[in-house]
Amino acid sequence: MKKTGHVLVASASGTVMLNGKTLEFGSRGSALLVDIYRRCVGDYPKFFKMDPLSRLGFVASELLLGEEKPRKQDCEDRAVVLFNRSASLADDLLYQETIQDPGNYYPSPAVFVYTLPNIVTGEIAIRNKYYGETAFYVFEDNDEEAFMAIVEQLFQDGTTTSAICGRVECEDAETFEAELFIVEK
Amino acid sequence: MEELILELKTKILEALKLQDMAPEDIDADAPLFKDGLGLDSIDALELMLLLEKNYGIKLKSPAEGKEIFKSVRTMAEYVSANRIK
Repeated sequence: MKKTGHVLVASASGTVMLNGKTLEFGSRGSALLVDIYRRCVGDYPKFFKMDPLSRLGFVASELLLGEEKPRKQDCEDRAVVLFNRSASLADDLLYQETIQDPGNYYPSPAVFVYTLPNIVTGEIAIRNKYYGETAFYVFEDNDEEAFMAIVEQLFQDGTTTSAICGRVECEDAETFEAELFIVEK
Repeated sequence: MEELILELKTKILEALKLQDMAPEDIDADAPLFKDGLGLDSIDALELMLLLEKNYGIKLKSPAEGKEIFKSVRTMAEYVSANRIK
């Protein structure tokens, strides 16, 4: 297996690094994701409907794939396999807010649909028309070794030749970090 | 009625997180689903919630919303006739 691209997006410092180069956006927290979307994507309004975790995974994958020449799309041999330790906690908290007060009990369907961490893998697959494997793992620690063993196993299926991989961690809408890369068989 | 239409447009943009649009971008008579704003089934549920939360109107099923959610104008007419708050 070999890694062919790398992106890091971190809310606290506003750091965005793509293949070793630092990109300056001048914003932090949730505003950083919107700024990345507006400057580097801009043609996918569904972004605004996503929960913080999906927004993070989506813009990180867009940065990564924007560097891929040619950009791989509409295929069955690319997987999306991500992991973190907090699952869909950010959206779980948002959903809890909509049901917390019995006197103001309006459970939001649009928030509810993101209360699973693997939705972000689906969002990336839908965007790029990837029909291959998608999976999301929740590890207690940042165990990249265990994660890469899973990816290696994935390549044994006879179909998958590459995968968007990495960690997308989102504690809440303002606190997140993603590190993604492309792995080829 | 025009005031209610503007109010609904604002609430729809907020509820459906259509952050790149302004109220004036929505044609009050254009279809909300498919060709118009391109809303989906989850958006339909959010519109039902919007009616209940803001106007006290509780629809029994998404099917009931089919006629009501044809356009912002049909929504406004329904709200005007059925609101309890």
